[in-house]
Amino acid sequence: MRAMYLANYFVAGCIASSFLGWIASLHPIAFRAITFLASAAFTVWGLCWLLDFSVSSLLKISVSSLQAFLLALLAAGAIGAGVFLCS
Amino acid sequence: MQLKMFVLSGAAVALWLIPLTALDKRIGWHKSMQGLTLCAAIACAVTAGNIARELSEQGEIEAIKERAITADVIDEISTSAYISQQQRLQEAEQILNPVEALERALALPDADVERSPKPEIKQLAENGQNGALNEESERAERALQLRAKGWGKAKIILEVWGVSKGGSPKYKAAEAEYKRLTEGG
Repeated sequence: MRAMYLANYFVAGCIASSFLGWIASLHPIAFRAITFLASAAFTVWGLCWLLDFSVSSLLKISVSSLQAFLLALLAAGAIGAGVFLCS
Repeated sequence: MQLKMFVLSGAAVALWLIPLTALDKRIGWHKSMQGLTLCAAIACAVTAGNIARELSEQGEIEAIKERAITADVIDEISTSAYISQQQRLQEAEQILNPVEALERALALPDADVERSPKPEIKQLAENGQNGALNEESERAERALQLRAKGWGKAKIILEVWGVSKGGSPKYKAAEAEYKRLTEGG
């Protein structure tokens, strides 16, 4: 059951990523805003990946859990964006 | 609950993929429908995730309860085993300690002793009586030996019974026993 709820949240992340793509396709200004948001999120993601020990102690979770979460976030974003772009 | 979760999960995936692939982005209302279905898909996925998390937590609680019940049962069994072992030890000590058992048996009224169903207590009482008889015969033998050596009555009573001559009840009892033993022998 734990796997089910993790899978559901992962699917929700994928759909949210597709939804951001859909918003970006509405207007050029929205596209720029989403591009800025995505680049900022990616920067934060990279910092978290590099500073994994500090961030894990800050969030009081294990390093492996943080890395799993970051990888799942990246995969969900990539899958959601890929689905939207390929459709 | 599980069925609801599975339906919501399937609905989320369907609402995510089908409108994106089936509808045309260049048509206005198609695009609007895509946006709506994506919002609905997010809602379905999050709801399904929450239900799955609740079920997972309930499963963990049930597992904890089961472990606690198992631990309680084990504790109860080990406690009862310990208590029964202690009882057996006490019974064994009572059997191996005849003096205490004899005292207890002698402390009982005659009727209780007669009614007492435990044969070991009777045996211990008989052993105690035998011991008293042995002690008496030893005293008689010792008194007769001293008398044969030519000792006087008062000296024999002092030596064997440890009571000096006088009008005390102990001396009188010892004297009576001396007479009974020596005259009887």
